[in-house]
Amino acid sequence: MAEMTDLVAELRERLALVRRGGSESARGKHTARGKLLVRDRVDRLLDPGSPFLELSPLAATGMYGAPGQDNAVPAAGIVTGIGRVEGREVVVVANDATVKGGTYYPLTVKKHLRAQAIASDNHLPCIYLVDSGGAFLPMQDDVFPDREHFGRIFFNQANLSGRGIPQIASVMGSCTAGGAYVPAMSDESVIVKNQGTIFLGGPPLVKAATGEIVSAEDLGGGDVHARTSGVVDHLADDDAHALRIVRSIVATLPTQTHGRSPGAVEEPHQPPESLYDVVPTDTRTPYDVREVIRRIIDGSRMHEFKKLYGETLVTCFAKIHGYDVGIIANNGILFSESALKGAHFIELCNQRGIPLVFLQNITGFMVGREYENRGIARDGAKLVTAVACSVVPKFTVVIGGSFGAGNYGMCGRAYDPRFLWMWPNARISVMGGEQAASVLAEVRTDLEDDEQVEAFKAPIREQYETQGSPYYSTARLWDDGVIDPADTRRVLGMGLAVAAHAPVPAPNYGIFRM
Amino acid sequence: MQKLLIANRGEIALRIMRTASALGIRTVAIHTANDANGLHVRAADDAVEVPSYLDIDAIVAAARAVGADAIHPGYGFLSERSAFAREIEGTETVTLVGPSAAVMDAMGKKDAAREIAVGAGVPVVPSYANDADPATFAFPVLVKAAAGGGGKGMRIVRALDELDSSLAAAKREALSAFGDDTILIEKYVERGRHIEVQVLADHHGNVVHLFERDCSTQRRHQKVLEEAPAPTITQVQRELVTSSAVALARAVDYTNAGTTEFLLDSDTGEVYFLEMNTRLQVEHPVTEEVVRVRGERLDLVEQQLLVAAGQPLSFGQDDVTVEGHAIEARIYAEDSFGGFLPQAGRADLVRWSEAARVDHALESGQVVSTSFDPMLGKVIAWGEDREAARARLIDALDRTAVLGLTTNTGFVRALAARDEFRDATIDTAWLDHAEVAPPSARVPLTLAAWVAAALTGPRFAAAGASDPFAPDGWRTAGPKAPTLVALEHAGAVHELEVDAEASTVDSVVVRERSLADHVVVLTIEGRDELAVVNAQAHTIEVAYQGQRFVFERPDAFADHGSAAGDGTLVAPMPGTVLDVLVTVGQRVAAGETLGAMEAMKMELALKAPFAGTVTEVGVSAGQQVALGAMLMVVEAGDE
Repeated sequence: MAEMTDLVAELRERLALVRRGGSESARGKHTARGKLLVRDRVDRLLDPGSPFLELSPLAATGMYGAPGQDNAVPAAGIVTGIGRVEGREVVVVANDATVKGGTYYPLTVKKHLRAQAIASDNHLPCIYLVDSGGAFLPMQDDVFPDREHFGRIFFNQANLSGRGIPQIASVMGSCTAGGAYVPAMSDESVIVKNQGTIFLGGPPLVKAATGEIVSAEDLGGGDVHARTSGVVDHLADDDAHALRIVRSIVATLPTQTHGRSPGAVEEPHQPPESLYDVVPTDTRTPYDVREVIRRIIDGSRMHEFKKLYGETLVTCFAKIHGYDVGIIANNGILFSESALKGAHFIELCNQRGIPLVFLQNITGFMVGREYENRGIARDGAKLVTAVACSVVPKFTVVIGGSFGAGNYGMCGRAYDPRFLWMWPNARISVMGGEQAASVLAEVRTDLEDDEQVEAFKAPIREQYETQGSPYYSTARLWDDGVIDPADTRRVLGMGLAVAAHAPVPAPNYGIFRM
Repeated sequence: MQKLLIANRGEIALRIMRTASALGIRTVAIHTANDANGLHVRAADDAVEVPSYLDIDAIVAAARAVGADAIHPGYGFLSERSAFAREIEGTETVTLVGPSAAVMDAMGKKDAAREIAVGAGVPVVPSYANDADPATFAFPVLVKAAAGGGGKGMRIVRALDELDSSLAAAKREALSAFGDDTILIEKYVERGRHIEVQVLADHHGNVVHLFERDCSTQRRHQKVLEEAPAPTITQVQRELVTSSAVALARAVDYTNAGTTEFLLDSDTGEVYFLEMNTRLQVEHPVTEEVVRVRGERLDLVEQQLLVAAGQPLSFGQDDVTVEGHAIEARIYAEDSFGGFLPQAGRADLVRWSEAARVDHALESGQVVSTSFDPMLGKVIAWGEDREAARARLIDALDRTAVLGLTTNTGFVRALAARDEFRDATIDTAWLDHAEVAPPSARVPLTLAAWVAAALTGPRFAAAGASDPFAPDGWRTAGPKAPTLVALEHAGAVHELEVDAEASTVDSVVVRERSLADHVVVLTIEGRDELAVVNAQAHTIEVAYQGQRFVFERPDAFADHGSAAGDGTLVAPMPGTVLDVLVTVGQRVAAGETLGAMEAMKMELALKAPFAGTVTEVGVSAGQQVALGAMLMVVEAGDE
């Protein structure tokens, strides 16, 4: 296994490639028209110096083309994330027109919807910087018809707006067909003159349908929509002006009432980069997860719960950036005791309204006759129930392996953590590749010798190796991004800060199997 | 002397009070109703309200009422009004700190003063009798009112054929301005230096001079930079002006402090008497800075008070020496780079240099009105020699900041830095034709951006706070984003990229030397650049090299949109066209009124959305129009 520093270097390289956006010629054409590149737009939208927690920047990696190739869709052609505008935390959804004209691939839709889900969970205003040709037509069957497809974007806009979560759009390029509904469904919208266009059917479609010959600007340009149609509310001279207007709109929104105002805090006693040294990158090598916790929490101090019981699961109360958290971290495989301890701790945090942080490094629950007979499934179910029904904000960081039912008990994607991040050394699959190959080989009766067994197992191991990669995961949006371990404290802090905007309901659990 | 009333305001009132208080004399200020919060009122032991700083009766009555035994008139206002001096002389209990009314009368009229000067053997500008044959004149000549001052009734005549009309015009102006159309015709000195000599005379016949000052850097007879000693005169010239000044003072039985002004003809080296000022001068500090009496500094106001109290001078001419060089810059509320227009407003942030003597009456938060003299203060720098003094003056002006309103600080700073001033080649007419450029906005923009970025950055966040959204430009596993600062100046938006980590502004490396208490010092391309910065939510003001720069953060809603559209004016409501003011083909400016219509009992002006040409007029006056009817079309183009 590579060293953590090498893994982090690889992550940075992959991100640097993606940050460039589309091809050089596409970027050249874009800027030649006086338009800003998507990340430059985001920089100008945000408050000076605001951090930007970009979500799943490596989405669609290798799904439509290898990174760097013409058919690649870097970042799924859309930049999403959380930053501050006029002192308010907002979700930004910005098309990258240099990537396939900003059209929506299946992963583009998924990423857009995920950003809206985050806005919904955390009560964050949404700002859409629209520059998109609409659905990617060759893949319309994976983009258009289903529940979680294109139409859901507008369903979400209507319902978010209905819940008092502001929807603001700035049209900075095309906004065609279904895309036209992004500004139209927004609470307040801006368009850049001579750049932005909004129409249900573009000039070619109009000509085909009615024979009318009309220019894009006359059909749905900024002047038309700002002065005549009323589809938008503000007309901007250029991108920079449009972004200033959006900022001005955000300034008129009610001030966010943060759940708590964290007071003065003490940084962890070890620098964040020291995490590189304490975590072995081979998920099979044991280490004390407390070394990780101490490098994430305020003052490196924790109140450990049931330290001497169910020792393979560490549970503790601590603070991150001044926010109270309950941390649940694996320190070995799960036994009945550790599962019970985890369930108890989750109940405590829900009782007290304290957000939960899961540090996941789990190969699974203990197996074997003794454990099955003692009902480890019963205790595992208690933990899963507690996680599933937990109402406080949950945050999951996969810091090592994420295998089997351990993924469930430790708040995997299916358990709706507010955010789920992976470290570059993380592995995720239903079981390890070797185990899967062995299990599948065991159930086969036609394998005659070791050579045949090996020939059978090798492609399975290879499949698990490929699919277990954090980049395979993040490409498919099974997570919100692969992060540098040194950033763990920071991203958890940002997650906690935004989670504090939404009220926490009273917990209500399913039946705990006793 | 127990109690002194100061019949003045501003810096000179403070200057006089400073000395009076040091001598144990109680001070009484006067003020008008709208000046009751003036600094001089606060600085004085007592204050009396008067209807006007020019109200002789009220001021003398005030002095009597408070039991003052002397009045110091300062400069300006009533300082050279013989009527004021005469009124005070009539009280018998109050003394004027200044010469007698008779002396003021004698020196106040130019023709009379000239006669006295001639009598005292003082060289005067060659003049021509009014009945002399103009054909014998050596042109150019100066035609001026005998009773004049301030350039009124003054004309330069360069040729014989201009003489009659100029004489007539000068007489008209003199009559209306001074009620006296007596005219003098003199030789006109094209290139001259203004040299003046400070004299001090007691009531016991002692007269000394305190050497000369050079006030050649003038703009339309307003002194801008003054210095002592004069940098260009020869020892012979110095002896001539100083002895002449003493002789003149003796000739008129002068008492107290006074100044005799001379014009030094740069072409011939001749020196001519101009006039005598019978008061303390604005520029007296440069004399105080360089003059030594038996090695000790001299306080001119103290000497004035001692003389007024009847004491003899405690030193003789031989005791007076000069040490080093001093230069004074006058700070005015005026926009020197914008036509020298007077400025008014609230001085939000004022910083005076501590590296030089500053006589001022302006503090942060003070409102400067146009009701009074626009001079806010004076910066006076002393050095071992002229270059040292000049360097200190420039440094002091660099550290001088008046934000909230524009002053001439940047102008005098630029002037002091000019080669011509360094070389002392600036004559009294130089500023009337020379162009002085304001400092470029490049460095101040960099300084403003750096400060703006620092203020929003984590550095100035509350101590110990740990906001995960702290504005440090953090990006997900990538290089930190630079802080973008957009500033609007002179109609253009400048976007600067500040990278705190790399310590660059727009990729230029800067090194922060200090940043505290509104003062920033950055090393930019090897130079230490200092500025005083007042950063507010929407505006950042910067004083750089004395010059005030106002940078606005761009306003998303300022004057946009109107320039867009297709130039078709349509009826916003159904109504009647009242007026059509343009025809097809007419060029119009942005915002120009093209016509008017009446609708719903309201009159609406129809304005050009942008500059261009009227290409269509679809209506005429009196016509009824429907909502949305095309009224006229303007096609965009240059004005």
